[in-house]
Amino acid sequence: MLHSKSFVKKSRAGRVTKVVREHYLRDDIYCGASICKVCDSSVARLSASASTILVLDTNVVLNQIDLLENPAIDDVVVLSVVLDEVKNKNMAVYNRLRALCSNSLRKFFVFSNEHHKDTYVKEMSGESKNDRNDRAIRVASQWYQSHLGDEVRVLLITNDRENRRKAVEEGIFAETVESYVKSLGQPDLLDLLVQPASEDVDMAEVEDLRPSKRKVIYNEHKPMSEITSGLHRGIYHQGKLRVNRYNPFEAYVGSESIGDEIVIYGRTNMNRAFDSDIVAVELLPQDQWHEEKSLSIAEDEEDEEDVHLVPSSADDAPRTTLPQQDSSRETNPVSYRPFGRVVGIIKRNWHSYCGSLEPMPMPAGSGSVANALFVSKDRRIPKIRIQTRQLENLLDKRIIVAVDSWDFLSRYPSGHYVRTIGEIGDRDTESEVVLIENDIISRPFSAQVLACLPPLPWSVSPIDLSNPNRMDLCHLRVFSVDPPGCKDIDDALHCSTLPNGNFEVGVHIADVTNFVFPGTPLDDEAAQRGTSTYLVERRIDMLPKPLTEDICSLRADVERLAFSVIWEMTPEAEVISTRFTKSIIKSSAAMSYVEAQARMDDSRLMDPLTTDLRNMNTLAKIMRLRRIDRGALTLASAEVKFQIDTETHDPLDIGMYQIREANQMVEEFMLAANVSVAKQILDHFPLCSLLRRHPTPTREMLEPLLRTAAAVGLHLDVSSSKALADSLDHALGDDPYFNKLIRILATRCMTQAVYFCSGDLSRPEYHHYGLAAPLYTHFTSPIRRYADVIVHRLLAASLNIDKLPSIFQDRPQLTSISDNLNYRHRNAQMAGRASVELHTLIYFRKRPTDAEARIVKIRSNGFIVFVPKYGIEGPVYLTSRAEKGGGEWYVDEPQQKIKKMDGSLSYSVLQAVKIHMEVVEPQPNRPKLQLTLI
Amino acid sequence: MVGLSVGEKHFIQGGVAQDLRCDGRKRLTYRPIYLETGVIPQANGSARVRMGATEVIASVKAELGRPTPLQPDKGKVSIYVDCSPTAEPAFEGRGGDELSTELSTALQCCLLGGKSGAGAGIDLSSLIVVEGKICWDLYIDGLVVSSDGNLLDALGAAIKAALSNTGIPKVNVAASASGDEQPEVDVSDEEFLQFDTSGIPVIVTLTKIGRHYVVDATSEEESQMSSAVSISVNRKGHICGLTKRGGAGLDPSIILDMVSVAKHVSEQLLEKLDSEIAAAEADEGES
Amino acid sequence: MEYVSPEGLRLDGRRPMEMRQIRAEIGTIMKADGSAVFEMGNTKVVAAVYGPREVQNRGQQISDKALVRCEYSMANFSTGDRMRKPKGDRRSTEISLVIRQTMEESILTHLMPRSQIDIYVQVLQADGGTRSACINAATLALADAGIPMRDLVTSCSAGYLNSTPLLDLNYVEDSAGGPDVTLGILPKLDKVTLLQMDSKLPIDIFENVMQLATEGCKAVANYIRELLLENTKELEYRRGV
Repeated sequence: MLHSKSFVKKSRAGRVTKVVREHYLRDDIYCGASICKVCDSSVARLSASASTILVLDTNVVLNQIDLLENPAIDDVVVLSVVLDEVKNKNMAVYNRLRALCSNSLRKFFVFSNEHHKDTYVKEMSGESKNDRNDRAIRVASQWYQSHLGDEVRVLLITNDRENRRKAVEEGIFAETVESYVKSLGQPDLLDLLVQPASEDVDMAEVEDLRPSKRKVIYNEHKPMSEITSGLHRGIYHQGKLRVNRYNPFEAYVGSESIGDEIVIYGRTNMNRAFDSDIVAVELLPQDQWHEEKSLSIAEDEEDEEDVHLVPSSADDAPRTTLPQQDSSRETNPVSYRPFGRVVGIIKRNWHSYCGSLEPMPMPAGSGSVANALFVSKDRRIPKIRIQTRQLENLLDKRIIVAVDSWDFLSRYPSGHYVRTIGEIGDRDTESEVVLIENDIISRPFSAQVLACLPPLPWSVSPIDLSNPNRMDLCHLRVFSVDPPGCKDIDDALHCSTLPNGNFEVGVHIADVTNFVFPGTPLDDEAAQRGTSTYLVERRIDMLPKPLTEDICSLRADVERLAFSVIWEMTPEAEVISTRFTKSIIKSSAAMSYVEAQARMDDSRLMDPLTTDLRNMNTLAKIMRLRRIDRGALTLASAEVKFQIDTETHDPLDIGMYQIREANQMVEEFMLAANVSVAKQILDHFPLCSLLRRHPTPTREMLEPLLRTAAAVGLHLDVSSSKALADSLDHALGDDPYFNKLIRILATRCMTQAVYFCSGDLSRPEYHHYGLAAPLYTHFTSPIRRYADVIVHRLLAASLNIDKLPSIFQDRPQLTSISDNLNYRHRNAQMAGRASVELHTLIYFRKRPTDAEARIVKIRSNGFIVFVPKYGIEGPVYLTSRAEKGGGEWYVDEPQQKIKKMDGSLSYSVLQAVKIHMEVVEPQPNRPKLQLTLI
Repeated sequence: MVGLSVGEKHFIQGGVAQDLRCDGRKRLTYRPIYLETGVIPQANGSARVRMGATEVIASVKAELGRPTPLQPDKGKVSIYVDCSPTAEPAFEGRGGDELSTELSTALQCCLLGGKSGAGAGIDLSSLIVVEGKICWDLYIDGLVVSSDGNLLDALGAAIKAALSNTGIPKVNVAASASGDEQPEVDVSDEEFLQFDTSGIPVIVTLTKIGRHYVVDATSEEESQMSSAVSISVNRKGHICGLTKRGGAGLDPSIILDMVSVAKHVSEQLLEKLDSEIAAAEADEGES
Repeated sequence: MEYVSPEGLRLDGRRPMEMRQIRAEIGTIMKADGSAVFEMGNTKVVAAVYGPREVQNRGQQISDKALVRCEYSMANFSTGDRMRKPKGDRRSTEISLVIRQTMEESILTHLMPRSQIDIYVQVLQADGGTRSACINAATLALADAGIPMRDLVTSCSAGYLNSTPLLDLNYVEDSAGGPDVTLGILPKLDKVTLLQMDSKLPIDIFENVMQLATEGCKAVANYIRELLLENTKELEYRRGV
């Protein structure tokens, strides 16, 4: 049955075209109920015992998705008209709804009512799109009721009063979500409900009960039409709002129309926008730029700067705002950034947040509804008001809360409780929070994924041996060097002397793609996870454990499949030839860095393995020197290592991670392998290779480094990576730690390297600044990074071993994969850092300690110190908060010093100080590390 | 492209002289008109007209444009005709261009009136959205699918039907724009404005064969014509446009005579068309 | 973009293996020797055949077979956004050529030496698959003109989107940028006369897509054959046979 639809479309250029589409109506769309005798029941999803079948209205799906995800709600019919509406309004909710529909444990059935001949609804003249869709929902509900007969009750759940009224008139059972949930008799479900918009319920309860006292706190958002025309005329600017991780009152909007970042200062100017919302911004008059003082460490009592790990790149570091005195405006060009305020939100990026409730006294009469304020773990998120019926249970818990709305009359957004993670302060709970906060996929691998694994126990089969593409390299003396206790060994090395005096050096990487085939559930899962995540006490694998720890892991004394890069090198480490091959290897030793180092250092040992190690080390040193000559930066990070109690998983000791020659040796060959592979795949697939680049830092990004260096009388040349590397080498002070400190400061000025698809950028942009390499990729860790899996496939295809999977022909898809990898990679790092911070806190909880620290930044009421031994950074206050800005101290900006008014005391940047570290709990359940000057 | 023998020619001429044409019609009788609207769904309005073996399609597309500075209060209408080679192999390649242009110009002057737009069958000021800034531009496309004479009348009828079939989306203008800026417009999805098509004239072509003239000539008859006059007449009986085609000279008195005959014929044609259009619209509505 | 929903329905409600509604009519242009209208969904094409007749341009005459010519044109109103399409642009020249080559193969040209057959196809509405529709219309028009043919050439397209082979792409699916295979076959002889594909497709998937397109061609052939049979019966009836 054919029906044709037409609608009017307006193109960008203002042209109006009438679009006509066919719309086929069918008679082979089934109802999905098992009890139905007419329809094909093989596709049925709704349970046979169901006495009620729910049909949801769009507003219910959009607002109550958290409720729907609760298993208490089941036997639901999702109409395609609802799906479409949800898709247009909120992609995130759409994806969650789709996940519910495809989840075999849930009974959600999608009914394509728009293509069913009996439920298709034609627009009536004068009927709005919304009314038509509401009618379509009612028609479908009615069809279900008459189709299934009286044995089941088809219940339309809608919060649209008008729709409900009409439904009842038409003889359809209809209820609101609230009344339906109440009828289920599970009071805790009620907490999941989104509170209806303010007009229905008195929202002012928390702030003030008297309506007359309700005042307008925020400016109303401009209507969409005004925003569009404003953007069009250049009055407003569109961009993504990014809130400063370290100062939630400060946000930036990167605007293309201005070509600069607009600073949004203060909650009023942010006007209810959340981090990563797409907003429209209006510039403030120029005389209001720089008016705010963000010089002091803490802004407000509720928002203090915390002790945290030393940032490892500019992406993690607190944003430097302008030097805040007006006098510096002329002298400092960087400060000239526009300020603005948000006038409207184009697209919300609300999701759910982890955190806890603000401590509050229990209201009289437990069990009743209580209003509470939720404080997110992520400081960028404002407090969220929720209603709960289980306050006493939640006060000491980490919970997840979703945002529903933010009225311009209320100071805080309102939301609803989603679920409880666990008790605050409990290590497992806090680790879980770290994972959720960073969007790390930590669910167990599904049965479909595990079904893709080869049968266990696995061993090299004759088929592998007879594969003409696979070389048997078992005769080579291959070994691996990894951190102690490493189970996912993805790289191994060998180095043999050739008759002509040259060396044959091989890097052997676990052949993961021999087990992970494109398009399988296993591959999809790995692609989604993107990377393994390493927490202090736990590892979240990208691939299931049998692959990670056994089948792929290049363990000692077993035959394993590998993908090898083999060079012939002269003793001067000049590469004569490079070849790539799939191979079979048998590692003769799996050493730790310490062991390898000990072997090399022990001059009595002359066994072949040790000789190989020494040869390699010699080659590696030459390669490293050459690389540094080219301008590669030796950057420093302050990585810390915990010693963990095997029983309790509590940290026992903490210290800086020591880098040995053996580490550098392995690193050097991995770099070389990655560079060789990058060349090979780019030669064969210039448009669809996955590479890694490191953008050159702009002068502006290096500004804080230069300022600090200038204050201590050091001149750094940042004109090129080579120049910077040289001047870093020459940066020597009396202090043995000085050079490292400068390097750490330099590192944090740079952004992170990122993955990209070679077709998306031009050749000069491929450059890797930190390694001073024109080309770079990741090939050497396919067990724990998905990027390497992709590169393995590219390399195999370039050698005609495998066909290139079809995904590589789809550039946008490839770009989205690399975007996801960057996102996951970054999140995994953030999670790792957060985990270290968490364990640092646990460690110091029982051990108040004194330590030496360096001042890295001067603030108006104190300074930020870096504690090298523990790799942490945090504020030290010179004045108590109460007398904030109180005049005893003043800052000497060009000298980077803070001086006492009477001149008796002064602290300057990079100066060493003694501090005391202790965990304090100013509020219950909010432990934090406090640094004080001794 | 009609090759006729001498006998055939005489037969046609003789028939016209005796008011009994080859297909049995009288001199002032039209062939049955078959009309269908909405044939091109992508267009804002469209119609197909068949008169005997002549078949034409007309479509109306509306686009937003800027009015000319000279006439800030009027929209624009343009007419293009295309002759498909399916109608006549001679139209292949650029072969149909000459005829297409001739038909386009004739239709323009019969339906659109003078340069000022005065006397147009279509009320151009009803096309204005924001004076001086936004107006609707109507593009009328005619396509000759099959030709057996009297293309102009058929096209005229098809355009009239297409225009009465035309629905133009309603436009909401954002009020904020001022000065020289082009205002933002919002095109509504469902609400369609209908045109007032009552003023659109019909075209009657009188073809002179021998000493007489006939309406609705077939291609055979047209091959015997000495000249032809196309007159567009609206419902009020006003003459909206007139073109004379063909080589031979005409006595002015004959022209006046032709005009009055045309006026008379047009009344019947209009009536016939209106009822056909109404029937076609009803038909379309049902399906 | 989701072109096939998880429920297995395409944007217009078809399933992946389904064609759009097809409809055809023979003898629509009385003046032509043979003519037909062919519709696939919203794609609508008219074809007219003139000939066999005397060769118009003596220089083109071929002594041992008929000269087949073809012209493809698109009406101004055939696409969503209206534009004046200059005649003889590259695209229409190319399609003219494709249609001519495809049709010439099936016409028994050696039976009509020193004559000319003109095929004119006019697109009235374009909504994807115009090439296929043109070939199907031309086949019908040739049959209507009584021109001797080896077999009825029929054509259909298929594509590959969202990892699903799709039959008979409409405009939206066609503009998705995925591969689009246009296939023309001689159904009785089981030979391929036309095969075009843009964009890349792995060979094993191509096989599936082409298989699907072949199915489509066969379905069109069945429809065309039935229509011609009916038309012939009607002619017989009219002549009182």
